[in-house]
Amino acid sequence: MFYISIFFQYMSQYLKTKLQYRADLLVEFLSDLMFQAVNLIFILVVFGHTQMLHGWTRDEIIFIYGFFLVPFSVFASFFNIWDFNERYIVRGEMDRVLTRPVHSLFQIILERMELESLLGGVTGLIIMAYAGSRLHLAFHWYDVFIFILFVLGGTLVYAGIFISLATISFWSDARSSIMPMMYNIGNYGRYPVDIYNRVIRYILTWVLPFAFVGVYPSAYFLGKKEWYVYSFLTPVMGIVFFMIAIFLWNAGVKRYRGAGN
Amino acid sequence: MTYAIEVEKLRKEFKSYSSRSGLIGAFRDLFTRNYKIIRAVDDISFKVKQGEMVGYIGENGAGKSTTIKMLTGILTPTSGKVIVNGMNPHKEREKFVQTIGVVFGQRSQLWWDIAVQESFRLLKKVYRVSDRDYKEHMEHVIETLDIGPLLDKPVRKLSLGQRMRCELAAALIHNPPLLFLDEPTIGLDVLVKLKIRQFLKEINEKYNTTILLTTHDMSDIEALCERVIMLDEGKIIYDGSLQKLKQNWGEGKQIQFQFRHEVTKEQLISLTNDLNVKWEAGEQSHSWIAHVRAQDMAEVIGKVVAAYEIKDINIRETSTEEIIRNIYEEGIVHG
Repeated sequence: MFYISIFFQYMSQYLKTKLQYRADLLVEFLSDLMFQAVNLIFILVVFGHTQMLHGWTRDEIIFIYGFFLVPFSVFASFFNIWDFNERYIVRGEMDRVLTRPVHSLFQIILERMELESLLGGVTGLIIMAYAGSRLHLAFHWYDVFIFILFVLGGTLVYAGIFISLATISFWSDARSSIMPMMYNIGNYGRYPVDIYNRVIRYILTWVLPFAFVGVYPSAYFLGKKEWYVYSFLTPVMGIVFFMIAIFLWNAGVKRYRGAGN
Repeated sequence: MTYAIEVEKLRKEFKSYSSRSGLIGAFRDLFTRNYKIIRAVDDISFKVKQGEMVGYIGENGAGKSTTIKMLTGILTPTSGKVIVNGMNPHKEREKFVQTIGVVFGQRSQLWWDIAVQESFRLLKKVYRVSDRDYKEHMEHVIETLDIGPLLDKPVRKLSLGQRMRCELAAALIHNPPLLFLDEPTIGLDVLVKLKIRQFLKEINEKYNTTILLTTHDMSDIEALCERVIMLDEGKIIYDGSLQKLKQNWGEGKQIQFQFRHEVTKEQLISLTNDLNVKWEAGEQSHSWIAHVRAQDMAEVIGKVVAAYEIKDINIRETSTEEIIRNIYEEGIVHG
């Protein structure tokens, strides 16, 4: 309860900050919108050349991509921790976080919130609607809840992986380029995994389970029965990976060395 | 008797590696590294009573900040016992920090982009302070620190002195019984310093707040603290009253002579060799400082004035700053 109220406090604070710079807000909104429009056209053009891919039609691949954008945008809005090492460890901001009576990870998530990234999710929904209508997909009333569940699962998978990576900073304060690399690997999750070699498929399923952000959950909505088991594993994987991340985080905070001043 | 802070044999070690020099050295570092264990805080023990104001002093790198970070739960000690406000800081961190206030002079607690009062509001929620307590307590704080007119300005538009006063107010939102101040007056002008000192004294009297203060400004310590804990290379070298420290170390006087012509140290030493005088070159040319016992003062002046032509004479008490410097030069505290 306390955490929910704190969440809304930070959110309103965030909005106030954004509203302070009116011109900036407008420009940012327009550029975000433009970026999403370009993104949308780009996807349609790129996928316009592929007709079938290992038994997947063009529209199905577009649908998967659209789905992928939704959990990814939620992740990008709330788990903006790619510069954690720089901002909190090297500059010592972690000291301040640790003197407040709220879980440290929760505080950082709230401080680094970037709600405008949610716009990417809207693009995702539009793409899904477009691809879905061309595929004549049938939806049930409960699919809405399953959709939300899968989106949350995918977000947690992403968050779990990136939080775990961020905790490396607690053990070694050297800057590493692992984060951008991981963003690239994350992109593989939006293509059907059976086009990959078996090792890569295994990795994308169990080690760095990015497939649970794109293909697996979308397979449910596309009615691919052979993938249903994986689809419904999405929330489970999300929770497991997120728990691992929290555990690593808590262990890391104990090792925190602080920055000298 | 319960103590606000109880520290026993507290130790913090850091592992750091020293890099070899040159390109070849850098290649060797790739394979084997020279690790060194650095003991930043070395088995220190002390106790602080509720309501005490303690100055925690030491040179840069003596281990002050590391100790404070262990006392506030930011760092986990390597070994030893820390009990602050009856809790183990890093074990029950979230419950513990509710009972302390922290100001780091070089780090802001406030949100850069939003108005000061918005920061306060957010902190009020974070610390779960009720509207009634907030109003009752903070109205007084805001008035005493004179930050009322600043409340609707964003932090980034404040001057350092204004920001520091707001920081102090922010650290007190939950009215903690224990306050840690790490160089709270760094870079501030005299007026702001005075205001902050006055305020700290006031809350100490009003709420019996314990204050642990680190600073490089000895006048802060003189104005606020009866007790000082002095740290050198991770060890406590003095723990006691400031008064006693001054008595033991600062009984002498300093006389600064400004001579009209060049005078050598040998000449001065031979002039006063029957008295206990230590000569030291002054900052200006032809100026020498004599460190003497109070009872020898008149005689030294008499002799020097008789022998040489003098432009100016200045007599000073040894300042706390000099006492501290002398102690560090000798490394231990006698008596």
